[in-house]
Amino acid sequence: MATTTAPMSDIDLYSDRSILSPYEDYRALRALGPVVRLNRYGVWAVSHYPQVYQALHDHETFRSGAGVGLTDRLNQAQKGSCITSDPPYHTLARSLVSRHLTPKALRAFHEYVRRWAGTLVERLIARGGFEAVADFGQAFPLSLVPDLLGWPEEEGRERLLDWAAAGFNALGPPNDRTLSGVPLLQEMGEFLHRMSIPGNLRPDSWGARLVADAHEAGIAEQLLPALLGDFLVPSMDTSVSALSGMLLLLGTHPDQWDALRADQSLIPNAFNEVLRIESPLRGFTRLVTRDCELGGIALPEGSRVLLLNGSANRDEGHWDQPDVFDAKRPNAAEHLAFGHGIHGCVGQALSRLEAHSLLAALAERVRRIEVGEPSWRLHNTIRGIARMDVTLHV
Amino acid sequence: MKISVERERCEGHGLCVDAAPELFRLDDDGELVLLHEDGEVPAGQEDAALAAVRVCPIAALSAGVPAA
Repeated sequence: MATTTAPMSDIDLYSDRSILSPYEDYRALRALGPVVRLNRYGVWAVSHYPQVYQALHDHETFRSGAGVGLTDRLNQAQKGSCITSDPPYHTLARSLVSRHLTPKALRAFHEYVRRWAGTLVERLIARGGFEAVADFGQAFPLSLVPDLLGWPEEEGRERLLDWAAAGFNALGPPNDRTLSGVPLLQEMGEFLHRMSIPGNLRPDSWGARLVADAHEAGIAEQLLPALLGDFLVPSMDTSVSALSGMLLLLGTHPDQWDALRADQSLIPNAFNEVLRIESPLRGFTRLVTRDCELGGIALPEGSRVLLLNGSANRDEGHWDQPDVFDAKRPNAAEHLAFGHGIHGCVGQALSRLEAHSLLAALAERVRRIEVGEPSWRLHNTIRGIARMDVTLHV
Repeated sequence: MKISVERERCEGHGLCVDAAPELFRLDDDGELVLLHEDGEVPAGQEDAALAAVRVCPIAALSAGVPAA
């Protein structure tokens, strides 16, 4: 089968400029083709929806067990986590984590989350002005997940956001942002190691049960800290980004906010559309395990692909008017913001529960969401608002 | 055409139900139910079945046409 010479690009997706304004660069990459060699990083950027989808669903050719970041040394440090694993370990590890995170398992928390969301929204209405990230986006992730994990009372949580941010930055190339986070990763690793010792997490918590289940299933001790990290790290920056992004997009589209208020059954699709437009996770890499072809480009065994979820979610070949936020978009559920395939986000039901509850609490009480201009985070892997003023009008 | 569910992999997210409510349902326990026996897809619903298989975020569904 004839394959063309691979297009190449000098675009630096990890420059400050590109991180703050990625969509033009994604569009430029897409125009060059579905698979483009990034000269700066020695990886193949996959930017079109069909090829990102295909690679995510072919986990044997596009392997995660050798790491899903861009820096090999740091890829190795993640061994034990679900994301950095292949079947059969992956199948076992994921089942131990997912049993606490399925929609069915989360039913027990619906009422608690609903009440919590109502309380938060009422408090923010009373305050007048607040900040989207610190006061809204971070509120749920910082309280709910550590509690459910069994985080001990006496341990402060102030490091958690820094650890998670470092964890996600570590998926980037070996730049300053990545490498400056390494000490934080070590700190987090020590914490997770302590927590993996039976008895240190709150009894009956998800974390305690994961440790017990893992022991019973014969999972090696040294893999437990990374597996525990699966509960903690992936749920932080991603959720914060999605929840803050919700305020931005519904605040800047008041007609659609009105539609949501009139019909709350639109909430799930609206959240899908938030995730599509401002996908929290730019993309993960995969290792190519055999000579193959993707999007007409020959990929040799041992090469690495960067699957750009954020680009696929705006691919003009898949979406009608991709840059337009449309809460009623009929195929919004096809977005790849949670990934897809066997590594599809195991926490997505929790993410949806948080977002839907907060949207419902807002829809019941708030006539208009007023937002200022957002500033964006300088982060290798996470697309998220850094700061934005918000006022909720009843 | 027949739909198969990998039961150990299915997590009950329900995107298949949204894509093809004539073919899938989540029961009171949050478990996936195939509405037609053996996952058989009635004529005319193949597109919906394929859409549901594609949208499953966990790759727990597959659709096949059995060999004659």
